[in-house]
Amino acid sequence: MKNTKKLLALVLALALVITAFAGCAGGGSGSSTSSTGGSTGGDGKLDTSKEVEIVMYFISDRPAKQDDVDAYMNEIFKEKLNCTLKENWIAWSDYANKYPLLWSSGEVFDLAYTATWLGFTNYAAKGAFMELDELWPTYAPNNWAMTSEAAKTQATFDGHLICIPTLLATYSAYGPYYRTVFEDGAVTYEGEVTNFEEYEAYMEWVQENTSITQPYQLYSSGLEADDMFYGYKGRYNIRGTAWLSVDPYADTFTLVPNYDNEYTMEYLEMTSRWCEKGFWSKSALSDTDSTKCQNGIAATGIHNVDTYQGRYIDKPEWGWKYTNFVEDVSNLPFTQDACVVSTTSKNPERALALYDLITTDETAYRAFQYGIEGTSYEVIDGQVKMINTDNYGGTGMWAGRTSGLNLPSYGAPEDITTMKADWDAYIEKTGNHQSQYLSAWLPDTTSIETEYAACTNVIQQYWWPLECGFVEDIEAGLAEYKAQMQAAGADKVIETLQKQLDDFCASHPQG
Amino acid sequence: MKKHGFIYELKKNKALFLMAAPSVLLTFFLAYLPMSGLVLAFKNYRYDRGIFGSDWNGFSNFAYLFQSGTGWLITKNTILYNLLNLVTSQLLAVIVAIVISEMMGKLYKRIVQSVIFLPYFISWVIVGIFVLNLFSYETGLMNNIIRSMGGEPINLYTAEKSWVWVIIICCFNSWKWVGYNSIIYIAAITSIDAECYEAADIDGANIFQKIWYITFPAIKPTIITMLLLQVGRILRGDFEMFYQIIGANGQLFNATDVIDTYVFRALLTNPNMGMTAAASFYQSALCFIIIMVVNHIVKKIEADYALF
Repeated sequence: MKNTKKLLALVLALALVITAFAGCAGGGSGSSTSSTGGSTGGDGKLDTSKEVEIVMYFISDRPAKQDDVDAYMNEIFKEKLNCTLKENWIAWSDYANKYPLLWSSGEVFDLAYTATWLGFTNYAAKGAFMELDELWPTYAPNNWAMTSEAAKTQATFDGHLICIPTLLATYSAYGPYYRTVFEDGAVTYEGEVTNFEEYEAYMEWVQENTSITQPYQLYSSGLEADDMFYGYKGRYNIRGTAWLSVDPYADTFTLVPNYDNEYTMEYLEMTSRWCEKGFWSKSALSDTDSTKCQNGIAATGIHNVDTYQGRYIDKPEWGWKYTNFVEDVSNLPFTQDACVVSTTSKNPERALALYDLITTDETAYRAFQYGIEGTSYEVIDGQVKMINTDNYGGTGMWAGRTSGLNLPSYGAPEDITTMKADWDAYIEKTGNHQSQYLSAWLPDTTSIETEYAACTNVIQQYWWPLECGFVEDIEAGLAEYKAQMQAAGADKVIETLQKQLDDFCASHPQG
Repeated sequence: MKKHGFIYELKKNKALFLMAAPSVLLTFFLAYLPMSGLVLAFKNYRYDRGIFGSDWNGFSNFAYLFQSGTGWLITKNTILYNLLNLVTSQLLAVIVAIVISEMMGKLYKRIVQSVIFLPYFISWVIVGIFVLNLFSYETGLMNNIIRSMGGEPINLYTAEKSWVWVIIICCFNSWKWVGYNSIIYIAAITSIDAECYEAADIDGANIFQKIWYITFPAIKPTIITMLLLQVGRILRGDFEMFYQIIGANGQLFNATDVIDTYVFRALLTNPNMGMTAAASFYQSALCFIIIMVVNHIVKKIEADYALF
């Protein structure tokens, strides 16, 4: 009797152990089944005899019926390259955690979205991306041919090509988008907004003539006006390190921090006055509502031309208008959106061939970007209209957009086309000089990470409240900000980046 | 008594060892094994080389925490906030538990308990919006009341007023956790022998005397255990709470910044595995020291109440 009891206990305990570990075993094995087909014979010819699955990651929320689109585009890919594409959507709500983890987990995948705003040089410096010096021209020849020299310079890190920048031109133009029709059409703003005085007058007009009391949309991501103000004064802000700017017209470029910039006091006096006039709330930095303009609580904000287009398509009856305030317009670095190959990729050749197809072939491009014609999008007068948007949406792989193949959104304001033509003409005229020249330079912050992180913190802690006009004594506030920046190691950051900039200028002659 | 070897013990208590095995193994795999990742804090992490292949770089990952003296400030803030929150929320939880268990009406008791418990389910994101709508300078409830009574509105979102946020954060923390914590104390009070109270009634003790001389001493071990368990987390700020209530308001940072919010802000745009691991290592090491010291003190005073 005693023995049976003991045996029973043993069996029970054993069962417990097994069930506890059965769960662990199940989860682990799924991800590493990528096959290793499609290798090359060394002559640069792509071998498509074996079917492979290409895994791609990008950031966006997955539409409900994306499965239909996946099936549709995979038919095309299967026929042309004998491969299928598995898209993994990283949701907006947790991209900040998941994106870095994607790289550190060592997961096997092929392609991923990256960007200047994701700090991609940081990943490149730490060996996350495969070098593409040979692979890109060999396996994505059409894409290679369409990529400009400037874009290739931007994609070069530490002497190697590490990403494929977008083929869609974007601009450093920045300015206010503003609403001109209020109260269901009863009140209309007739004036112009072409400079800061007029902008201020516009916001006062909104306060006096409409029900909107705080015309400027300010929330917890800070005031966007500083980039625009320095741009308006003809300076070039360093991308990703916007507290540093240079004079793009000078012969030699000197990085100047915003606390030593000659225009900073003027800027702070202006924004303090705006705050005093109540253009935004004194508690705005704790407010997370970023949709005040869409909801009619605010009338204007400062951003790029795409945001203007979004506002306009959303509510054309509100008469949205836009003015670019940046004097020396240039293309944004094409690495604004880029595609990279992971070092863990087993099929980089086929992955690049697939990327070549979706960025340069019209059928594949539309299937990848817009989905199924008639189901998820329609083309009306050469403009694309996304339909059934509850179930379908465009891709989040923005790097895959190509000028020429990319269709303007349906209902986009007409003046965008003329604005872009003007900017293109201006860039054509400046050639490889001024801001356009500088946009090719890629700051590398890996050797100054400590100081850089500390400075990032100081900017948010001291500069943001200062520029929002929340600090009573701006002169003392600016001095405090400067002192904190220097304590955080700003001088070392400037010194290091200046040296990089000098090296860049020495090795890339203007012309 | 003769001491037996491990093998003997294993043979004798086969079933017991086997029953303990799952939790021992799980703890080993889920808590001890990942601890080897702590070496990341001392490495210059590269994605292509992995955790163990990357080069060592000494203590340089820790440097950003202490750049320009922020390390001391955020450590101090984290500890003081947690101490304050620990004391206030536990104290209130004890009071609430005593009051609820002294209540007579069963229905009323249930309703009160549910209402107090409810905030536990409200996310900090929503609480953050509450707070803004209460204290916003232009449209907040507080300033609307002040204005309607003819007073001058107060702007709490400035550096001069940042001390107020210590109180606000403490209040919201208690509001959220009191209901949850009180359940444990209610359970402890329910298990007190009713005979003690009957004896006290016969002796003519009033309600406060009963609480002070019976209830309170009876739940003292529970209180101490709860405090000790919380002390182990004293270096970990409740990130969501601070982040949602304070937001991007730089002027309040000196008074409200904790280690977690600082790390989040400094590394959000430039993620760095080594530097995040360093922050986590720093917190864990300090937590370890604190819990050892506190446990040692408790042991000295009242050995039965110590955790280990």
